[in-house]
Parts: sequence; structure tokens; C-alpha cells
Amino acid sequence: MPRRYGPYGGAYVPETLVPALRELERAWRDARADAEFRREHARLSRTLGGRPTPLYFARRLTRRAGGAEIWLKREDLVHGGAHKFNNALGQALLTVRMGKPRLIAETGAGQHGVATAMLGATLGLETEVYMGEVDMERQRPNVERMRLLGARVNPVTEGSRTLKDAINAALRDWITNVRTTHYLLGSAVGPHPFPTIVAELQSVIGREILRDARRLWGRPPELAVACVGGGSNAIGTFRPLLSSPTELLGVEAGGPRRSRHGAASLSFGRPGILHGAYSYVLEDRDGQVADTESISAGLDYAGVGPEHAFLRDSGRVRYRAVHDDDALAAFHWLARDEGILPALEPAHAVFAAVREARRRPKGHRVVVTLSGRGDKDLEVVRAAARRRS
Amino acid sequence: MPPLADALSAVRAAGRRPAVPYLLVDRARASRLEATVRALAAAGAPALELGFPFSDPIADGPTLAAASGRALAHGTRWSDLLFALRRASRHLPAAVMTYANPVWAHGLEAAARELRAAGASGLIVPDLSLEESGPWRAACRHAGLELVLLAAPSASPERVARIATGSSGFLYLVSRYGTTGAGAPVAPARELASLVAAAHRARPRLPVLIGFGVRNAATAAAATDTGADGIVVGSALQEQIDRRLGPERLRTWFAAIVRGANPAG
Repeated sequence: MPRRYGPYGGAYVPETLVPALRELERAWRDARADAEFRREHARLSRTLGGRPTPLYFARRLTRRAGGAEIWLKREDLVHGGAHKFNNALGQALLTVRMGKPRLIAETGAGQHGVATAMLGATLGLETEVYMGEVDMERQRPNVERMRLLGARVNPVTEGSRTLKDAINAALRDWITNVRTTHYLLGSAVGPHPFPTIVAELQSVIGREILRDARRLWGRPPELAVACVGGGSNAIGTFRPLLSSPTELLGVEAGGPRRSRHGAASLSFGRPGILHGAYSYVLEDRDGQVADTESISAGLDYAGVGPEHAFLRDSGRVRYRAVHDDDALAAFHWLARDEGILPALEPAHAVFAAVREARRRPKGHRVVVTLSGRGDKDLEVVRAAARRRS
Repeated sequence: MPPLADALSAVRAAGRRPAVPYLLVDRARASRLEATVRALAAAGAPALELGFPFSDPIADGPTLAAASGRALAHGTRWSDLLFALRRASRHLPAAVMTYANPVWAHGLEAAARELRAAGASGLIVPDLSLEESGPWRAACRHAGLELVLLAAPSASPERVARIATGSSGFLYLVSRYGTTGAGAPVAPARELASLVAAAHRARPRLPVLIGFGVRNAATAAAATDTGADGIVVGSALQEQIDRRLGPERLRTWFAAIVRGANPAG
């Protein structure tokens, strides 16, 4: 397994964690070579997770854009309402295989926390989730869901009280309890081997897109679009398409219009070391990690997965930032045009997809990964509407 | 011999065990730094660790994480670290302890040069594993800084030996599974003793200092009972500073820890 993507990645962690990361790498390598593990993973993916997910033609959204066809990869239909299940299932099965009885996770929007809590229940693992206080407030429905699923939710009151601080808290727990606990990291970030494991587990998204595209159109889509916070649904979408001629577009959170950098580390950051990996980071001159701003808790993160840093530098993937109000507009378009409430995270990608489709010919296809559903965001959307009126 | 290794070896040669204090640089305390360092030196500290705050201190427990956050809120910058180094290194050889990113942000080579020029003898980076340490060791060697590596109870004796081989100045042995400060129990003494022995076998002349959770005379004694050459005291000292203990009382407090690490006879 690659330790680095170009210069990015690595494992900058306190020594206490090094043996656990090695054990994890070994365990993952064994597991994915084990036919029995793969069968069990595939079975639960289908019967519990609801995979495969459909590729849906958004007819009225396409008409609104007035250009290329827009297709939605419906990860919002996965069990729990987001792509996070794909990763959580694989790592939770791996936890059982490693003989560890306890799971911990960080969560921003709460979707990864919910996925971890669900699988903790399914597989009988004790589960604790760290979540920033700011995020607990703005994604309250997911806090309730995690609790109902039997997980303990630990509020994080340090720093900006968002995803970054939840990861800090989870890492500290892991350092203390590493012998009995697996840290089920939710995005393609963190020290090696996490970015690779998460990318492999999420690549089911891109594989299904490619398979359906060949069946429907006989060729891959002209463009694939996905939102990028840490970047797990995006890397899952992009990886299987890297060797195809498909253009790839990653969409970061630009935050409010007055914001200097929002949460767009690839657009406005520079290479640095955060949460165990070398990648793009929003930081000041002294390397102090910057506070980020985004309407979507899931994208509100100052770092990004190292493979994205590599893909950015290589030019294979373009990354653009979309502002809060544009994401909100896209949320309403999808609601009114297609009857789908998207999470605010992929709403950023939907906005970019519509903009791209508008300037492309009618025969082209734009696939956008709808990474999660929007039930959790109703309060945020309502509050934004109140502010505008 | 470089100053850090030199100072620790001198204590060792005298048959004593060094107790090294950790002080976090905080712009709001800049005017009191030198008095604090003098008090610690008077209490018997042979060297000093100067901490530079980081926004995301994942190896730190509540005391030092909170102190780090306050220091940043007070506007502490890299230039404050260099200023503190110039002052502190008049009294004691000093190693800088900070996370990888603040050093990286200034460029490895440039940061190492600046720290050395300001009087630093060593650099300690708690989130730098042996595997990633290559370029850091090169930059430090080039600048004349000793790069101190950390080992932990989760490592096998073989791995501790490898870490000791890559370390300079001393080997920082983390006492337990956990972050800095009180809370998690110290790893069993037998376990730590075997790691200390492994480090000594690999590098007989390299001092092994135990840190994380050493907070008074009793824990200092327990830590050195493992065969370790000395101790590092961080969170407990920060607590005293947070309580605004004056230099005189700080000296008395730290002297008790020095005695704990060096029982009579």
C-alpha cells in the first residue's frame, strides 16, 4: 500500500500509535485478500447497506441548466443516508477481525458518526463518537440518531469546536486506549494507512458509476463532480475514473462570500502537516491551523486527504470552491426540480455541476455524486432562509 | 559534545539523574520567563524544554492543551519563541518542543538554523515518528541541533533500540498509553524497564529520560526506578505556573522533584 501520494501523506503521529497503524495496515491487507471477508463485506453491503445505488437522470435539473445531461449518483440512498456507510462497514468488519471490542469515531455533519453507531450496533461493538459542540448544535438530528443507535456522543469543547477538534479528541482517545480500540476514521485523511483504506472502501462509488455508464451510454461520463471536505466521497468517485478520459472536478466549501478562504484548503491553503498527514492545510505563517467557515459541517475542515493534494498538483483533478449561498440555491433547485433534499455538502457539488452542464453540449453527461440526504440540514436551511428574508 | 547531551551526561557522570522541566512559551508571560528559568536552574534542573504552542496538540492532555490555546490567544508567535530561547539559553541548555507543522511551516532547514542561532541545543517533535524523521535529522544535523526522538510503551524493545539509534541528545521515553499530564496509569515498571534496557543496550551513552505523568517526588522516584537516567516534568509544572507560583516557591517545588529522582544514597 502506498505510504505517500507524491510527496503527500505519510504518518506524522505520536510514537504510541505507530504499532497500531502497522497492525491496521497488515490487517487490511490480509482482509482484502481473504475471500470469506470479501463475501461477508459484499453481503452486508447489499443486504444492510442497500448497494448498489442507482444513477439517476435529473431531467428537470438538466433543463434548468440547459446544456449537458446531469446524472446523480444516489449515495443518499445508502443505509444511514450517506456514503459514510461504505467506509464504516469495511472498517467495522476489520475491527471485529482484529479482535478489538471498541470503536471510536469523529464526526462533523454527524453522518459518519451515525454510520459508525449503526455498525457498532450491528456488530456488537461499544461505540463512542466525538463531535464538536458547534456541530452538535447545527446537526442535532444526527446526535439524536447516534444516541438511539446506542453510541455515546462526546461533545468537544476545544478550539473551533468543529470537525478538526473532534479529530484531535478522537486521536487522544486512541492514544490512550489503542490496545482495545479501533479509530474508525471517517474520511480519506489522517496518517497512513487510513487515506488508502478509506479510498479503497469508497471506490465502490466510482466503480458503479463506470459500470452503469458503460451499460447506459457505452462510455464513461464526460465529467464527474464531487464535494471535498476531507474528500472521501470524492476520492471514491474519482479513483476508478482516473484512467478514463472523464474530466474530474472536486468542489470545496468557499464559506460565506465575505470569508477569505472558507474551508477550501486545496484552493487557498499550502502544504503542511495536520492530523498525521502531509497535505494542503489552511494555516497562518507559523503553521497554526486556521479556523474555517462553511454552512456545511461536513466540509468545514482545514485539511484535506493527501491523495487529493497529489491529484491537485498533478492537474488530473480540478478543485473549485463554491460559496454557502450557491450551495443553498442548489439545495432548493434539487428539492423543487427533482423532489430530492440533498445534504448541504453535496449541494456544493450540485451547484458546480449545474454551472458546468450549462456550458457543455447537450450530448455530454455530467455525473455528480449526491453523497448524502438533507434531512439533517433542515434547521440550517430554514435559518438561512430567515436571515435572507 | 553538543550542549544538551553534554549537560545531561555531566549529571549522569556525577551519579545523579537529571530532572528536565518543560516550559510553554506564552507571550503574556515573556517578562517572567527568565526568573522562572533561574528558579528551575537553582532547583537543580540541568537543561530545559521550551514548548512552542500549536493549534492542534494531539499528544497533549487537558492542562497543556489549554495552556497552548491560551498562549496562541495571547498572540504568541515564532518570534516569541526565538526571544524566549535567547533569554533561557543564558541559564540552561534548551531544547525546543513543538509539533511538526510549526517547524515545517518555516522550512525545515531555515527553522533549524533559526532555532540554533537563537540558542537552542535540541528539537523534540512529539508527532514525528522514526519513519518520517529522516529529513528532520538531516536538517538538524546540518544546523547543529540535536533531534530528540520519542519512544513509547507500545513499541517492542527492538523498535525502541532503533529509535534510540536515531535519536540524539537523549531518548524521550513516554511513560504510558496516553497524552501528557495526569490521568492514564503509568505503564508497568517492568515493561518500561525492559524498554530502558533496550535503549541502553543500543546506545549506552545516550541518556533515557521518562516523561508524561511525572508530577511529584513519588512519580519521579518511580520513573527512575525503571533504570531511566532522568525525567521530564511538563503538565505538573504548567499547573504550578497556572496557579501563579512565584519563583521562590517554584524552586522549592521543583527541588522536591529533583530529590525524588535522586533518593539519598
